[in-house]
Amino acid sequence: MMTRQDWNVIIDLIPAGTRVLDLGCGDGGLLAQLLAHKKVFARGVEQDEGNVRACVARGLSVRHGDIEAGLADFADQDFEYVILSQTVGCLQHPLPVLREMLRVARFGIVSFQNAGYWRNRLRAWVGNGSGPTLVSGQPLIRSITMRQFNQAVEQEGLQVEQRIDLAGSRRIWGCPSLRAQTVVSVLQRVRYTGLAV
Amino acid sequence: MILNQPLTLKVADEILLQGNGIIGPVTLAYETYGSLNKDRNNAILVCHALSGDAHVAAHSDLESETPGWWGAAVGPGKAFDTNRYFVICSNVLGGCAGSTGPSSVNPSTGQPYGLGFPVITIGDMVQAQSRLLDALGIHELLAVVGGSMGGMQALQWTVSFPTRVRSALILASASRSTAQTIALNEVARQAIYADPNWKRGGYYGSPSPLSGLAVARMLGHISYLSDQSMRSKFGRRLRDRQAYGFDFVPEFQVETYLKHHGLRFTERFDANSLLYLTKAIDYFDLSFGLPNLSDAFRTVTSRFLVISFSSDWLYGPPQSEELVRAMLKNGIDATYVEIQSDAGHDAFLVEVERLSDLVRDFLRQVKADRSPLGYGRGAVFRNRRVLEHLHGDGI
Repeated sequence: MMTRQDWNVIIDLIPAGTRVLDLGCGDGGLLAQLLAHKKVFARGVEQDEGNVRACVARGLSVRHGDIEAGLADFADQDFEYVILSQTVGCLQHPLPVLREMLRVARFGIVSFQNAGYWRNRLRAWVGNGSGPTLVSGQPLIRSITMRQFNQAVEQEGLQVEQRIDLAGSRRIWGCPSLRAQTVVSVLQRVRYTGLAV
Repeated sequence: MILNQPLTLKVADEILLQGNGIIGPVTLAYETYGSLNKDRNNAILVCHALSGDAHVAAHSDLESETPGWWGAAVGPGKAFDTNRYFVICSNVLGGCAGSTGPSSVNPSTGQPYGLGFPVITIGDMVQAQSRLLDALGIHELLAVVGGSMGGMQALQWTVSFPTRVRSALILASASRSTAQTIALNEVARQAIYADPNWKRGGYYGSPSPLSGLAVARMLGHISYLSDQSMRSKFGRRLRDRQAYGFDFVPEFQVETYLKHHGLRFTERFDANSLLYLTKAIDYFDLSFGLPNLSDAFRTVTSRFLVISFSSDWLYGPPQSEELVRAMLKNGIDATYVEIQSDAGHDAFLVEVERLSDLVRDFLRQVKADRSPLGYGRGAVFRNRRVLEHLHGDGI
């Protein structure tokens, strides 16, 4: 079974029996594992028809469409967790999506490949550029560094409640902006303590 | 069981209609496929579209039968596998293929109803179907499925009888008719009104308004195709000529195609039925009398598979997305798929192989999700939702 390095972390982060929405859920691999290990209430949004068919074959309920349209369909605080795994860099308008995520769920889990990872920096300096190449033909993917991400989160009135930095599938602790290959962040709305809301 | 023509059953002495008055007695023509299991929980109701009838497929034990309007989807080993499921299809109330409709004899006059038939709605069709299921001893449907007008009936089923429908498959349909569809239906009706043989619906026993009906069908056919499918099917090709005739004889392939289908339709369809059924489609609006569409789904507990087709401009992806949004806003378990297809609105009938896997996988999951408490995984969440609503309403 295909497993991405951030999936195990995400599966560990999500408590059993919660309501989970996976944005850009692909063929439903992560949701299927969450169902198997955590007995969650699973929902997905996916853009590709073939992937949606694969999800239905797994017995998952999925909304075909882009993430922006899909998110707008769900009611406020319908979920405990909403996942954006390795997708934030491909979004046309990433910031509104982050905001919307925390409208439909209490927690958002966002993972991305850290463009500041030392190998990526090295490749950008001395190699043949970073990210997808002309030849690879991949669609536009933003390079996101850890600092960039944290700034954006703060600007949107959100906070990183917990962060797990990975090099390969190993968790690392020191010097993450250089050493983390994949960053998994749990986001929450900023709590205004001391204010009567 | 050997069937040469649909069974007919008097399902009710009278039915109270949504619009005005009552209709009765009500007879429905229906056909069944496969067999009902011991627990009576494997029944699937197929709802036909505007021009359909009860004959959804040929019976596998009867080789001489015509294939049926959805023969590729219903049968042993097919998407709606009659080895597993008990499939029922009935001709709608207001139709002209064996069920009570404007061409039926009005018992109070001894003459065909004609325009004396009351205007009926999708809700009334569903009422009549529910009486049929009562008579067949089926309380709960594993699934109700329909495309286009059939999808409207399936939607109405989940709203009218939330405890009887475990799942619904809504193909190329919508929660309400738009101005565009009402406009097309009105032009179809005007074509019939304009036929001198129509005589305000009182043509039974005299020549029928065939040319009006044929024009209505030609218009319908255009709306069922797409720009792409017409280009590839006909292009600008001529049918029987090598060069333009510079006259008014149908010569483009698309013209002769429409003429042929228009004429063929008049052999099997009643003009008044077309008037009544298009009117029912026009009136259909799940949000009628409600602040917004999502309120229509407040007490709905069925699970949904909603499918649209990319080139369908009659009931296309935007309408299905509107529907899905209303469902998801209510926390309903809905899967939505937009299938890439050039076949236009007709895709739900002709692209069956693209539907089959989705239908099979979905039905398998619905069947597997049966828990002793009711409607399977997710039921706890859904019931919580319903209870919250009830609480919110102060009950």
